[in-house]
Amino acid sequence: MNLRRQLLLVSLLTLMLPWAGCEFIRETEIALRDGQRQMLADTARAIAGSMVQHSEEFPVRDKSYGTGDQLYVHRLESRPKIDGYFDDWTLPADSLRSIRGADGPIRFAVASYAQATYLYVEVMDRSVVYATPQSLLVDGASRFADRVTLASSSPPYLREAISFAAEAPGRIISYRQSAYGFEPEPTISAFWQDIPGGYRVEARIPSGLLGTHLGLSVQNTPNAQQAGTRSSSFTGRTPGRAMSNIEELDRIAALYVQSDTRLILTDFRGWRIGAAGELAPGGGAQSGGGLARRVYDLLVEQGREAAFAEPDPLGREQQPYVSAALEGRETGTWFRNASTGTAIVAVAAPVTVGDEVVGAVVLQRGTQAILSQRNEGLSRLINVTLLTTLVVAGALLGYATWLSRRIRALSIAAEDALETENLSSALPSALADDEIGDLSRSFSWVLQQLGEYNAYLRSLASKLSHELRTPLAIVTSSLENLEHEPLNEASHGYTARAREGADRLRRILSAMSEASRVEELMAHAEPEPFDMRAVLESTTAAYRDVYRNRLFGLVCKVDSAQSTGSPELLIQMLDKLVDNAVDFSEEGDTITLSLEEKDQELLVSVTNPGPELPERMRSQMFDSMVSVRSGEESRHLGLGLYVARLIAEGHGGRIAAENVDGGVRFTVAIPRHQGPLSRSDSVRNL
Amino acid sequence: MAKRIAIVEDEAAIRENYAAAFSREGYVVDGYDARQPALDAFESRLPDLVVIDVNLKDDVEGGFELCRELRSRAADLPIIFLTARDSEFDAVSGLRLGADDYLTKDISLPHLMARVAALFRRMDAMQKPQGSTGRITRGDLSIDTERMTVHWQDQPVGLTLTEFWLVHALARYPGHVKNRQQLMDAAQAVLDDNTITSHVKRIRRKFHAIDSSFDSIETVYGMGYRWISD
Repeated sequence: MNLRRQLLLVSLLTLMLPWAGCEFIRETEIALRDGQRQMLADTARAIAGSMVQHSEEFPVRDKSYGTGDQLYVHRLESRPKIDGYFDDWTLPADSLRSIRGADGPIRFAVASYAQATYLYVEVMDRSVVYATPQSLLVDGASRFADRVTLASSSPPYLREAISFAAEAPGRIISYRQSAYGFEPEPTISAFWQDIPGGYRVEARIPSGLLGTHLGLSVQNTPNAQQAGTRSSSFTGRTPGRAMSNIEELDRIAALYVQSDTRLILTDFRGWRIGAAGELAPGGGAQSGGGLARRVYDLLVEQGREAAFAEPDPLGREQQPYVSAALEGRETGTWFRNASTGTAIVAVAAPVTVGDEVVGAVVLQRGTQAILSQRNEGLSRLINVTLLTTLVVAGALLGYATWLSRRIRALSIAAEDALETENLSSALPSALADDEIGDLSRSFSWVLQQLGEYNAYLRSLASKLSHELRTPLAIVTSSLENLEHEPLNEASHGYTARAREGADRLRRILSAMSEASRVEELMAHAEPEPFDMRAVLESTTAAYRDVYRNRLFGLVCKVDSAQSTGSPELLIQMLDKLVDNAVDFSEEGDTITLSLEEKDQELLVSVTNPGPELPERMRSQMFDSMVSVRSGEESRHLGLGLYVARLIAEGHGGRIAAENVDGGVRFTVAIPRHQGPLSRSDSVRNL
Repeated sequence: MAKRIAIVEDEAAIRENYAAAFSREGYVVDGYDARQPALDAFESRLPDLVVIDVNLKDDVEGGFELCRELRSRAADLPIIFLTARDSEFDAVSGLRLGADDYLTKDISLPHLMARVAALFRRMDAMQKPQGSTGRITRGDLSIDTERMTVHWQDQPVGLTLTEFWLVHALARYPGHVKNRQQLMDAAQAVLDDNTITSHVKRIRRKFHAIDSSFDSIETVYGMGYRWISD
């Protein structure tokens, strides 16, 4: 990972800023909401206290029937047409209560409007069995027909029922059960409509015909010969009390509500008996902007969905906080509208008469004010932190780019200096006052040391040979004198061996000083015209003579290669390369010399089969006293290729080595026409 | 009368060794370790031959100085440089000062003896009238093997002993390629390729000074040299 990426990653830490800001805003919102809830709870408690005066409006605790036996009578806002359709009821579709029927669910709703009670029933029935006129006359409602019965009672009076059966779909006559049996009731208007897989009944019943308790039962007959199965909304003999908003309580509730507040009164079972006020729709919540909201939504806790705060469509408030209030505990909670972001704070307080909880006050309030405050803060926070993050990231990126460019420039310059051996060149950032400047200066220093070391190495060989020559002369001349002294057999052997050693030493010394002599020669050589091809041809012939256990091939791709230079020196260079090739090949191998022309340059190469060059040696193998050979072969001081390089560079050319398939190729490129022989840069540095 | 040889050499061991070798050959040897003592001694009597080391202790170019002074006193005195300095530049400087030969200390004692003997022989030959024996003529070239002198188009070519032997070896069998080893043997010296190359170069230059169209020494690339006779 490069420096820029690293710093960019570090700059991501600034994203902590919006997170911290959101955290702060969230805390603020929680605090504000808690305050709101506290306030709301106080209000709810006050209302609950005042409700005691109206305790007579609350239904008494009566445990003679279960909650499930009760049904809720909705209040309609307009008069529905009796036509078998539910869509003109001003109620949401989920206001339909569902009970289990023989052939599927039975869904129904009871509502009141202007002194009349309305009934809507949807029955799933695989086979609708109509009543016969006769059976209707016999028992008012056929036992062997599908029918809907609305049971009603006003305890302690007996129960009665209104039965809806049809001879055919359409308007039907309903029958009312009285002490005298079933009688047609003309004040009831009802409509039977068949639908795929069942039927629907809609009816209007004058309120006077019904008691305080209501229940629904449906009879499903498979055919006219069999008695049907009965499904009921109640379990006992009589239905439970029908629940609905009590007008007096609605009126009282309306006194307490303010804007964006909803007040609901329930009885001890949670049935809604009074309600007033509406929560403002969360339209204004968009002011915070989509991005701000989304970021916020990622960070804050999610409240329960606001839809749960709505009054229960079936009339019974069963939210946990309401239930808790009904058990005597005052509780609060909050909801969030996911689509608008609005929070709704809700509290429920018990209404107690004596020790008895008779009902609950449920108070809900929207938090538009908090929301807009939060959103404003949030969007500003997000804008500011986003900008900060961008600026910081941009600055860091720029800084990192600058840094890495300097470092790269430095490393490129250093590599360049190494490559070209121009070790004294100035490196970038050398004057900088920072760590990179230090690095640059250390680099310069190291390169300079290296240069001095290289120069020392180059001069070492000739200096050493020069210094050793005098002691060697002492040794050889002494030995030669000694041979004229009378010596016994053994002594002759020793002197002969000593002579041999001294001779070897002399050869080594002369090899060591060869480089400096070549440099001298080049300094004094006068370039002469010659034909490189002729030179190669005659030297190849000579090599065949000298190295009899190697084969030599010559490939010339040019007819004549006129050039100027010093053929003697070039031959010496070839000698070094061929000597090297011979050393690295096996007996019987073919060493190939080749000549071609390319871009005004003559390319002379010597290729030999043998081990590949180690990669790390490639750049150094033409340096002084560098040998790729392993230790034992002591006569190689690593000067041969250095001499070859001196000669190539002296001719304005260059030398390179490469691994070819199964061998090594040394190539010397020499410009065809050139000026006087020059000593190479590396030599001039000495 | 025994010939006197003076050795000016700061390295005592080498001086003694050379002195011993020369004595064995029947020469009288005087050894000096610096320029001044040698000059003082030569004031009273000049030796017959001087062997000088270029580098005399702290007197880095003392040998050259000595050679110059000696040459000014005696034009014919044979002077041999025997030094550890093997650079082309030094050799050229030494020979330009009038030395008869410039040898590196690589040379073996027998080779050195052969050269000294040859120099004395040449001196002796110079005293005698020119005879017809020992003459080789190849076109414009004539070699007097007695006096070890070479003439080109009847003009003397000032060759050192080494150069003379090289020319002699080549011109003896014109057309034959002499490789470096053969030339080395002929010159009684252990020379490396580069030294032979520079010797040949110097020889050519000396002939060129007389005749700019001289091209009788041909380089046979990779092999050696040969003399081409018209």
